[in-house]
Amino acid sequence: MRFFPATEPIACLASPVAPGLLSKREMMMTATPDDGQRAGTAVDAAHSPFLPRLRPRGAVWLTAPAVLVLLVALAYPLGIVVWRSFSDPAIGIDNYVWFFQSAVNRTVLQRTFVVAAWVTLACLICAYPYAYAMTIVGRNMRLALILCVLVPFWLSGVVRTLAWVILLQDSGVINSILRGIGLSPVKLIRTLPGVVIGMTQVLLPFMILPIYSVMKGIDTRLLQAARSLGARPWKAFLQIYVPLSLPGVYAGAIIVFILSLGFYITPALLGGPRSILLSSLVQNQVLSLLNWGRGGAMGVVLLVATFVLLAIAAPLMRQKHTSSRREA
Amino acid sequence: MKKISRALALTMTCALALPAFAQDKPVAGEVKEGSLKGKTLTFVSYGGIYQDGQVAALKEFVDKSGVTLLNDGPTEIAKLKAQVDAGNVTWDVVDTADLPPYVHCGTLFQKLDLSKLDVSKIPQGQVGECSVPAMNYGVVLMYKNEAYKDNPPKSWADFFDTEKFPGVRAIDGSGDPTGGLIEQAFKAAGGDPKAMTSDDIEKGIQKLRDLGPDTIYWKTGAESQQLAESGEADMIMMWTGRAMTAVKNGAAYTPVWQDWLVVMDQLTIPVGVKDTDAAYALINAYLGANAQAVLTEKTSYTPINMDAKPKVDEATAAFLTSTPERNAQGYQQNIPFWVKNFDLAAEKWNALLSGN
Repeated sequence: MRFFPATEPIACLASPVAPGLLSKREMMMTATPDDGQRAGTAVDAAHSPFLPRLRPRGAVWLTAPAVLVLLVALAYPLGIVVWRSFSDPAIGIDNYVWFFQSAVNRTVLQRTFVVAAWVTLACLICAYPYAYAMTIVGRNMRLALILCVLVPFWLSGVVRTLAWVILLQDSGVINSILRGIGLSPVKLIRTLPGVVIGMTQVLLPFMILPIYSVMKGIDTRLLQAARSLGARPWKAFLQIYVPLSLPGVYAGAIIVFILSLGFYITPALLGGPRSILLSSLVQNQVLSLLNWGRGGAMGVVLLVATFVLLAIAAPLMRQKHTSSRREA
Repeated sequence: MKKISRALALTMTCALALPAFAQDKPVAGEVKEGSLKGKTLTFVSYGGIYQDGQVAALKEFVDKSGVTLLNDGPTEIAKLKAQVDAGNVTWDVVDTADLPPYVHCGTLFQKLDLSKLDVSKIPQGQVGECSVPAMNYGVVLMYKNEAYKDNPPKSWADFFDTEKFPGVRAIDGSGDPTGGLIEQAFKAAGGDPKAMTSDDIEKGIQKLRDLGPDTIYWKTGAESQQLAESGEADMIMMWTGRAMTAVKNGAAYTPVWQDWLVVMDQLTIPVGVKDTDAAYALINAYLGANAQAVLTEKTSYTPINMDAKPKVDEATAAFLTSTPERNAQGYQQNIPFWVKNFDLAAEKWNALLSGN
């Protein structure tokens, strides 16, 4: 079983949400109880007078609308981008030679991955306790917490980022408070930490929601069982709860990491020259210099690099996951 | 039948009323009554208060000619290229930044037939092979009053002198390099901008790099205004329109007019538009004195018809760049040089903007 569907890294270029991931995560969550029941459900469906007969093979057609959308809106344009990167202005690998010969491109590519990693880590640190809190509070409180996660989705990213400008700038809210209480101001805006803070806030929901949806399915009686067998609370948590929640963590981490790689507005507004990410360079080639071949090559390099990184990470995650499941 | 006779009658009326039009050169701001009835033109610009002002300036043209005017935007050369490449150009008249019409003249933008336009009232040296100016504005050095008190900077040389004038600088990093700024930087590094070669671009860029890691490269006009209004930077390179708005909003900054950088937006007709003559008619109307006065009143940008008499308040007047005094102080970048070295300059500029 592959950990990630092949469409994920592609999605990082064009789509705000990696579509394969959530369904995959849900599959993983439901995998254990489902395996045994699938045959039974199919039989039930076959006998039900209300449901149409569906053979497993016929079920493939259920994916047709999604596949069609992916082909038209993703595979076809991506194909053009790849083709252009090898053919515009001349057939060959000139665009790729140019990309790797330019120190600017190499530095910024590396920086893009470093920032994505920091953002993923920061999101995880913020999201894990938050998601956990969502599973243990009462219903009204949970609704309030979910609302807090979702509200940022209703605001445009630009507005949120500009709000961060006001908070982080040298003459901004945070530094005014620091000065007010007699501390020396800190440089936040136009620095890498500033960019990471802004991106973390924007991407936090993508980490919280997958983790929460896994956590809410964890049977807390397992923890009680561990306690009754003599485990200290923190040990029960670390050995039982954390491993069970890891599928959500992996899913969230991958979504956040991939989305980070394509960020443009937030680094542009909160960052300085030393925190510009690859998407800004792509934008420049495509919109300003009209070098679509070069822009395409940059996109393809980012795509392939993402793919390679995930391919390396996937087996590690899978191994941990299965072993932790065995422990559980 | 009815249609034909109506059309005939209209033609007759026009022929009788305005016999001169058939042979004479066009006059800026004038358009034949009903001449574009049933036609549609798509005008593309940068949106916001600027495009609203342009539409207001074109209202007389629309009312008189009977054309249906559609608005689109913002201008993106990449989108235009896609239209031209696909042979389906839906943008009839496009407002662009200053250099693109020179860089893509003949490939994306039509070479203009000046017998179809009245360019006699446009300030000298602003009509290009593929463009006429859409408006003028300036890039001006704004300094924070509080930061420099009795000894304020007086020129771009002071902008580049971080020893005598310490403080945070903010530079236009919104897109293409500003040639005029690189020329000033090269001058501050001891070079002669008039004798600049392509190798000197790096020297100018290096001077900018030497301003230090605290330098701010703002991405949008709004951001530059925000920097001034919050007092975030000590010297800010700003567009005059934004500088004016910031000062009106209470930013305690003062402009340095010595060697303010002359900039213009351009009006162009893309290659492959369906009705070239209609596009010319729009531009010709846009260049009229009344249209330009309306444009300035609505946007505060400087009119490009020298006869335009806009009525503006004092704060706006202070930032208009068309007075004789301002004309004498302005600094015009070497357009042919930057057009020739566009790719090289853009590459070095991007390196600077990405921290390299």
